[in-house]
This record gives sequence, structure tokens and C-alpha cells, in this order.
Amino acid sequence: MANHNSHFDSVAIMAALPNHKFKSTRAVAADEYFGKSALSRWLMSFFFHAVLIKRNPDENDPSAIDLLDAELKNGKSLIIYPEGTRGTDGVMKDFKSGVAVLLKKNPQIPFVPVYLDGFGKVLPKNAYLIIPLVCKVRFGEPVYAKQGDVGEILDYVQSEVQKLQSPDARNNNHFELE
Amino acid sequence: MKIGTHYIPLEVLYTLAVVFGVLIICSTVFAIYHHKAKSTFSKELVVRTKSWWYISLGVSLVVAGPLLPATLVLAYVSFVALREMFSIGYFRESDRAGLFLAYIAVPVQYYLAYHNHYEQFLYFIPAFMFVGIPFILVTAGQIPKIVRSMSLIPSTLILTVYMISHMVLLYHVEFPDYELGGGSLILFLIIVTSFNDVFQFTWGKLFGKHKIMPLISPNKTWEGLIGGIICTTLLAYFMRFLTPLNPMESLIVGFVLALGGYIGGALMSAIKRDLGI
Repeated sequence: MANHNSHFDSVAIMAALPNHKFKSTRAVAADEYFGKSALSRWLMSFFFHAVLIKRNPDENDPSAIDLLDAELKNGKSLIIYPEGTRGTDGVMKDFKSGVAVLLKKNPQIPFVPVYLDGFGKVLPKNAYLIIPLVCKVRFGEPVYAKQGDVGEILDYVQSEVQKLQSPDARNNNHFELE
Repeated sequence: MKIGTHYIPLEVLYTLAVVFGVLIICSTVFAIYHHKAKSTFSKELVVRTKSWWYISLGVSLVVAGPLLPATLVLAYVSFVALREMFSIGYFRESDRAGLFLAYIAVPVQYYLAYHNHYEQFLYFIPAFMFVGIPFILVTAGQIPKIVRSMSLIPSTLILTVYMISHMVLLYHVEFPDYELGGGSLILFLIIVTSFNDVFQFTWGKLFGKHKIMPLISPNKTWEGLIGGIICTTLLAYFMRFLTPLNPMESLIVGFVLALGGYIGGALMSAIKRDLGI
């Protein structure tokens, strides 16, 4: 579960993962945007093992929740941006409820809060130039969603991601935490 | 020593051998210490020594390698310094094109240095970039605070790219009866400046009482500066076997490097303090 400001977000998370986790991790992306061409689909699946979900599904399509639920049951890890779309750098929008539904359905699966710091400046929404800047990926400890209704779980997930927003010891990432 | 057509002077090899010898001793001692103590401090020593290994390997490539990889390493150093400055400099959304152009200047400047286009090298950033970047900023059409960005982006280029790229020019200078080449000169420069830092720090820690600029750099004292300058000047004298300098010249160069090191350190301290780092 991470905040989302840039196309670089998934690149950064994928690059930060150890090799054995990389293979079983899939990024969740919008079909309307990334599924436009066959080339884009192939690139997304090759680099990000992307699960493409539709923002506005037709009646016959399986629901996004079912698709992602099946991936989790299949033992895959998912990169989910609960804000639903890329926002402004440093401002976190309210999370959409889908993640909470997923967590409620899979209470045995923990989530890892991730805060992506600075990527919205490297390549913000609607920008084309990539400006190299120092960015940070802060991973929190894996946590289990507390049982409760969807709203409570959602608040919990958002607060866990927000906790990582302020700089902490991980900013001085020269040393491993004891 | 000759590897293919590439020639590495023995003086450079011996100096690097001493550096790596010290590193091997430090790594071994600190690894044993960390194995026993297992404290945060011992861990820090191990990690710091490891980063010195990377720095020394980079320096070795620059001073002993062929010109192309040496240029690439120095260009990378410039790129990292520029990225660091741009990351902390509070730029506006409308500065993106200007920042991008500044990054483009890195390969251009190092290309000019690599091919020894001396005149173009000298004016590319001070003339072209000082006009080109402000103009690109103007085309973005956002006026508030544009003067700050207009001056800050090209000045950052001077600091991180223009200055550092001069090291590549040392490969092209020729002196009569001097065969060691630019790599030796750069090795001399790096060793003398790094030890200047160590000397000024140590003298300051041991005998420092009278602060020079307490608001800017509270750790810098007259005792540290003077002790550091004397030691650095002497070090340059003893390291002159890497250079074509005669004893008197090496003393002058050592003095200038020590003073330059102090001035550069004070400038960076002030910048860091203003940006709140």
C-alpha cells in the first residue's frame, strides 16, 4: 500500500525489492491508461507483472476486487495505490475503499505500508521531462488489518502509510536499523 | 607499468598501494572489532570503511585508468552533486525545463573537456548556460521568484559541473620533462585536499579555541586553519614526486590548496545552513 504521485513509483518499489520477492510481486494498474496498446500491455506485464483493472468495468467483466482477491489467494503480493490515481507531491488523497474490502476478505494476509517521497517531483502527473532528484522509498513493517468494518480498516491503512510520511531514521539510509 | 597501450606510472601505483594497504588494515581491524563489540559505533566504522573502499576504487579508476572511464567517473560525480543540490534547492514547478537543461550541460561540458576544446569548455557554462537557462525559464511564463531560479540554477552548474570538470583538463596539460601525466596530478590534488580536511579538523579538535565564523561554521577555528595549512603545505612538499613542481612551487601549491579547501568548505557550510540541512 503506497501513496502515488508518479509513474516512477512502481519502478522504485520494484527496484527496491529483493530478487525472490520481485518474481511474486504484481503492480496493480489502470487498464484504461496502461492497457491502451499491445506494446504497453506487454511492457507493463514484463517489467511490473501488472494486473490491469478497469476503472469503469463493463457488466460482463469480472470485478476488480475479484481479480485482485484471486491474485492474493494465488500467493502473489500486490502493489496497490489506494489513492486510485496520481496526486500532487506531498499531498495524500483519501484512500478508496477497495483495499479495505480486499483486506477484510483476506485477514490472514498482512499489508506493508510504503511511503514514496519525492517521486512526484521527478516526474509529476502531466509532465514529460524527467528531472533526476534524490527520492526515498520508506517501507514500514508488515501489519495485519484490524478487524472491523471497511471504513475502520481504510482509516487504519491510511494512518499506517501516513506514519511514514515524516522523515525518520530511514532517511539516513547509510545504516541498517538494529 | 604498461597494460596494453595504457601506461600507469610507478609513482601512482605505489601511492595507490599505500592507500589500499591502509584500507585493508582498517577493514580487518574494524571487522574484528565489530565482531566482538557489535555496537552501533562499530557498525558505523565498518560501513564507513566500506564507503571509503568505493571512493578509493573510483579514485583509482580516475587516476590510473584511461581517459574515457576517468572522464565518465568525474562526470558522474558532477551529476550526483548537481542532483543533490537540485533536490534541496526549493525549485518551482515551472523550473523543470531549466533544471533539465542544466542536466544536459553535464555531458556537453565533459565532452568538451575530454576532447580538449579548451575555449568552448571555458565559456559553455558561464556564457551559454547563463543565458540559455534563464531564457528557458522565461518561456515557462511564470514570473514570481523567477530571478531566484535564474541565478541559482546556472550558479549551481558552476559549483558542481564547471569546477569539477576542470580536473579532466589536467590530462591535457603538458610539461617539459614530465612523463607521469594527468592521473598523477589528480591523485596529488585529491590526496592533498582530503588530508587538508583531516588536518584542519584534527588541529581544530585538539587546539581549537578562537572561532573564525561562529554563525556559519562553528567547528572552524583559527588554530585548525593555521595548523591545517602548515601540515597541508608540508604534505604537498613531500608528495611533489607526483608532480612536475620544484620544492618552492610545491609549497606554494600546497598553501593555495589548503586555503582553497578552507574557502570551499566555508561556502558549502553557508549554503547548507541557509537551506537548513
